[in-house]
Amino acid sequence: MNAIRKSMSDIRASEELKQNTLRYLKEHQNTAKRATDRVFPVFRYALAAICLFLLFGTGGYAVYRKPVSYISIDVNPSIELGINRFDRVVSAEAYNEDGQDILSHVTLHNVPYIQAINKVLESESSYHFLKEDSLLIFTIISDHSYSMIEELSANEFSQNYDTLMYSSDAFCMAEAHNYEMSFGRYRAYQELLQYDDSVTIEDCHNMTISELHNRVENCQHHGVTQNQEDTQDQDGSRHHGECHSHHN
Amino acid sequence: MKSAEDLNRVMEAYSDLVRRICFVHLKNMHDTEDVFQNVYMKYLLHEGSFESAEHEKSWFARVTINACTDWLRYLSHRKWVPLDVIDEEKEVLDHTSRGILEIVLQLPEKYRNVIYLYYYEEYSAVEIADILGKRENTVYTWLSRAKGILRDRLGGEWA
Repeated sequence: MNAIRKSMSDIRASEELKQNTLRYLKEHQNTAKRATDRVFPVFRYALAAICLFLLFGTGGYAVYRKPVSYISIDVNPSIELGINRFDRVVSAEAYNEDGQDILSHVTLHNVPYIQAINKVLESESSYHFLKEDSLLIFTIISDHSYSMIEELSANEFSQNYDTLMYSSDAFCMAEAHNYEMSFGRYRAYQELLQYDDSVTIEDCHNMTISELHNRVENCQHHGVTQNQEDTQDQDGSRHHGECHSHHN
Repeated sequence: MKSAEDLNRVMEAYSDLVRRICFVHLKNMHDTEDVFQNVYMKYLLHEGSFESAEHEKSWFARVTINACTDWLRYLSHRKWVPLDVIDEEKEVLDHTSRGILEIVLQLPEKYRNVIYLYYYEEYSAVEIADILGKRENTVYTWLSRAKGILRDRLGGEWA
């Protein structure tokens, strides 16, 4: 018996715990059974949909469809999710072929966004991008980006992979889309541009997100360039949006 | 829905397993009681059948780990285990066990799971991968990293 096994062998379920649980189950099993019997799953969804419609009417549907937050997922596949005020995905856009491949295999609409990200990361198409040392970058545009970052950090994928999280803004997103790029990748490009103004948007298109991030880190380790110091002295306006990083 | 006999049987068979998984994840006895009830309620409402006792046991391990994770998420995304769970068990733990468990409970959640399933329940990496819904290589990596941390903190003779 090894030391860990021995240390845990005295942790046991007490009689009190077992009896309390049995008593609880006895008291609640009929209620739980009735709840599962009463409404068939499909009927439950239909009922929820009818309630929603009655509650909000057609105006409510417009509210439901409107994204209020965005998450850019960049692994190497680049995907942007639009999220409504109910934390559900209402749009999903791929910004490279790898992303398109994933979106052709998974359905994300109306799925809670954490679950949607799990679906993206667990899809077969993601398998050859996701290794133990893979870098996942999440960039968030939202009025409550901090709570979204917190929620993403609590999720399993943040523990399984090297994860970075940033917040950005609508201006950055609009510019990114002009270059047919996700705003997550574009934010990384902007960060690199602070250190190396010779890098072009085409270079960025041809780099994986890990390569982009590694170049930024290299620049950071080797000190900032004069050019960047000048830029920062002006007002830092090349840095679109705040870049709060959260590294797991 | 399962019968009262079934429920009594699995209570005797797996309550220690459920309790220990709760121990490595949760903050205190109060949380443990809630998760305990959830796990057995899931069993009560589970309509599928089990192919074998091993299948049933791994179902309990998986459902308990998921229930603990859900519970921690519910408790404002806390991903750490305070050591008061050890204080609650101080009457049954000797000094050495207490020292080992303090180190084990400081491991990240994913490492705690594999360490418990591997060393206590003696599951293989393949079986752990199945329970946790992870790839086998991921489990090997986690095990190796967790062992490395334990070796550093507990010394070479820890296992």
